Amino acid sequence: MSRSSLWISLFVLALPFTGVAFLIYETVGFDWSELNDAAWRASLAVTLYVTLVATAVSLVIGTWLARSVYRRRSTWLASLLRWPMFVPHVAAAYLFYVLFSGGFPFYGVVEANERHHLVVILTYVWKEVPFVFLMVIGTYAQLNRGYVDMAKTLQLTPFEQFKVAEWPFLVKPLLDSFWVLVAFISFAYEVPALLGVTFPELLGVLAYERLTTGLFLNAFESYAVALVWTLFIFIGVIGSYTLTAKRRRRIERGMRR
Amino acid sequence: MRRLKQFGLILSLIFLAACGTTRAEIAPTFEQAAEEAKQSTVNFYMWGGDDGINRYIDEYVAPRLKETYDVELNRVPMDTAEFVRQLSLDKRANREEGTIDLMWINGDNFRNAAEADLLQGDLLDKIPNAALLNEEAQATDAGTPTNGLEVAWGNVQFVLHYDADNVKNPPTTFDELHRWTEENPGRFTYPEVTDFTGNAFVRHLLYAEYGAAAGDGEIPDEFWEKLATWSPHLWKQGSTYPKSLAQLDQLYAAGDVWMTMGFNERRAEAERNDGVFPNGTRALVLEHSIASTHFLAVPFNATNPNGALVVINELLSPEAQLAKQDATYWGDGTSLDLTKLDASDRDAFLKLDEGVTYPDPERLADRSIPDYGPAVIDAIREEWERVAQ
Repeated sequence: MSRSSLWISLFVLALPFTGVAFLIYETVGFDWSELNDAAWRASLAVTLYVTLVATAVSLVIGTWLARSVYRRRSTWLASLLRWPMFVPHVAAAYLFYVLFSGGFPFYGVVEANERHHLVVILTYVWKEVPFVFLMVIGTYAQLNRGYVDMAKTLQLTPFEQFKVAEWPFLVKPLLDSFWVLVAFISFAYEVPALLGVTFPELLGVLAYERLTTGLFLNAFESYAVALVWTLFIFIGVIGSYTLTAKRRRRIERGMRR
Repeated sequence: MRRLKQFGLILSLIFLAACGTTRAEIAPTFEQAAEEAKQSTVNFYMWGGDDGINRYIDEYVAPRLKETYDVELNRVPMDTAEFVRQLSLDKRANREEGTIDLMWINGDNFRNAAEADLLQGDLLDKIPNAALLNEEAQATDAGTPTNGLEVAWGNVQFVLHYDADNVKNPPTTFDELHRWTEENPGRFTYPEVTDFTGNAFVRHLLYAEYGAAAGDGEIPDEFWEKLATWSPHLWKQGSTYPKSLAQLDQLYAAGDVWMTMGFNERRAEAERNDGVFPNGTRALVLEHSIASTHFLAVPFNATNPNGALVVINELLSPEAQLAKQDATYWGDGTSLDLTKLDASDRDAFLKLDEGVTYPDPERLADRSIPDYGPAVIDAIREEWERVAQ
């Protein structure tokens, strides 16, 4: 590793740690019971719902698409699927806002700004499926066809073929994608701000609101929530990687042979 | 941990104290201030989100200042809360030479700045044109006494606008408005109360119920229960509200709702003329209308306070106020008392009162009420969530 790249990595690493240090500094002496109000509680519930549903659906569809591309070798689908990735989230939010809020074809079936947050979820799925697809397609490209062929020879059902010959290799990219998506969706602003409702609001929207209105008296609530959420995701990442570490290592070794 | 915090604070104070130098002095008279200000630049920090307002400053005010006083005006667009926060950091760090010379401010932000001692005092007697000010507008800022810490720049009132092609019999009181929403479900809404305008709308309803008596910020439960009965008939059955006035205006422009609202009784004229708002847009003044004044202030650490005084004086001149009120640029109401002006200036102002979407000025003045204090604004912000649920 060259010296300059070492410094750059250190700098990049230092930024989030400084951020967390700042959050800890600002929340010293914070009365945590302030977070126990209806708005934050409802926000946590709706955030978990939107994040988990959007992430799960994106993972399933993204994997399924990567699998079909791999099996049918349809490269045109692969290049087509990349397109949503080049649309910024704000633009995607506006696009879905226009589609679902004013007399356009879908109006009346599903609407923007309603409490089930279906359009928020839909926007995220549309944006994140290509991301999952790209994360997974790499694994499929390297996948040893021998496993699939063997599973077929053993006359396993299609589901069991997937389970023994593909799934073990997908754990790593899917876990990576899962945490990237959870971290991203759970504390974002633009999409839920434009397509969400006044109550309950997603964490990112409520935190921004409390941070910027009035006397800044509530700013500490936002800092505290940001801190807790960062730690929560951090612990989740560490925990899930530790739990799967042994298995992943075995598979990686197995692949290299 | 507290130790660590103190240590960090001391360290940053030591570091920032090194930045502070001596504070710039204000000249004793306006003539001397004008002399001092020659060939200097005034940094004017103001919210920059409106094209008409920006053009008024850049195309009208700045050239006049250059010509009359040889003062350069540098408009810096920034959100008000943002630069008030910057100033309070300056204060904490004891920085005596700031970057802001003049700022546009009111309401919450003024209260914060005044409480934190961020503003220069005794402005009024140093500015000749301040003698022309409307004393009532100058006295308080959303319920907070101004105490010479800021100078009234403009004065507007809250009005509703409706589309006369859809609304045949417009309501005349807030109670009738309530009934109207029941008869026309989905055609009315107001911005969330974190928005300046949405909060003001709820204050009007509060005033309709309890008058000035509710000024202490203690809002009875019955009020919220009654407000909750509006919800089922609002846009989207009240399950969500526009995040900002801009979003409400969009809904109104698209014909989704039939009424919009806002401070500044002249704000709909240009929108209607441009075809953004429906052609049938008309003003609606109910039984009372909160008057809102916005102000100019000089920060404690302005490096060019004399230049700032010159700019304030120019902005308060009858000609500059007249150009501001004209729909060409801004359409903002004057902060001057028309009875204190020359007959010709007064006539020029009165002539501007003709617009299709303008309310009757006498009726508007008649219904004018002063704003509640910050306690009510905060209370509404805290408690309105019950209605939104």
